[in-house]
Amino acid sequence: MSVEQNTDLIPLKVHGVLVDPNTDTQIVVLRDETNADVLPIWVGTAEGTSIRLALEDVVPPRPMSHDLITSMTDHLGMTVSHVVVTDVKNNTYYATIHFISNGLERTVDARPSDAIAVALRAKSPIYVTSDVLKRRGGDNLDAWLAKLDPQQFGQSETSDA
Amino acid sequence: MITQMNVRGLLFDPYNNAYIVILRDEENADMLPIWVGKSEASAISFALESIAPPRPMTHDLMKSILDNVDAKVLSAVVTDLKDNTYFAKIHLWYGDSEYSIDSRPSDAIALALRAEAPIFTTEEVLRKQNSEELERWLENLKPEDFGKFEA
Repeated sequence: MSVEQNTDLIPLKVHGVLVDPNTDTQIVVLRDETNADVLPIWVGTAEGTSIRLALEDVVPPRPMSHDLITSMTDHLGMTVSHVVVTDVKNNTYYATIHFISNGLERTVDARPSDAIAVALRAKSPIYVTSDVLKRRGGDNLDAWLAKLDPQQFGQSETSDA
Repeated sequence: MITQMNVRGLLFDPYNNAYIVILRDEENADMLPIWVGKSEASAISFALESIAPPRPMTHDLMKSILDNVDAKVLSAVVTDLKDNTYFAKIHLWYGDSEYSIDSRPSDAIALALRAEAPIFTTEEVLRKQNSEELERWLENLKPEDFGKFEA
């Protein structure tokens, strides 16, 4: 990614993981540093759980899939420099993971859930393009989020074996 | 001594609401059942059925990262069984060195299938798992339980 495009990147923090009570999914809530913009991304149960474990600095007894990815990149001397939520098409978000290997930057296509789970473990920044943030659905999103019971935050079963 | 194992299939275990990956050696003499979670079972099933999902799943991403730097998966080895938990290692070739990475068997198998790398276990692990008890247990499973799970 060129320097010009990088100026369009907005850093985001993972605010939390919500359980969507109506579906078997979870919602990763990303916010910009001023809390002005929010980006909710629907993810599967396993991915939501993985992101929550990383947020809470929980080290499971056995490595989960994203711990394994981090372990592999560490072993091979690769550094995750950052991840970017790059696009949204038909309600599907797209992301890239950027890593440095032997001094070269490399980019891999990923689902945002995997990219975020990897970034949190590598303590690497998460960005979104301003274009995606502009196009994210629904002006009434904040109202929708406000209506969610705070109890729902962080509640999920750890179903992975 | 290590033995090469093939993934023979996935079972649904209705009693534990979990999935079982069945590994067998080439002569079908030894069997290793490994209980895994739903998302891991789904990852293994996609690879067994050569389904390419529209977006990369976690183990597709793993393979894509390795491919990107020309790292090769040499093998996956189920190395130990302790207190009903199986342990595995993924062997990678990168640069001119071999790397061995601690993993759950489910991740190691899901990655090995995608990389078309062999899966091994040790004779000690095969000895440790009590096959007699397992076969009795398998007899109680209904054929309908085979292969039933949501991707």
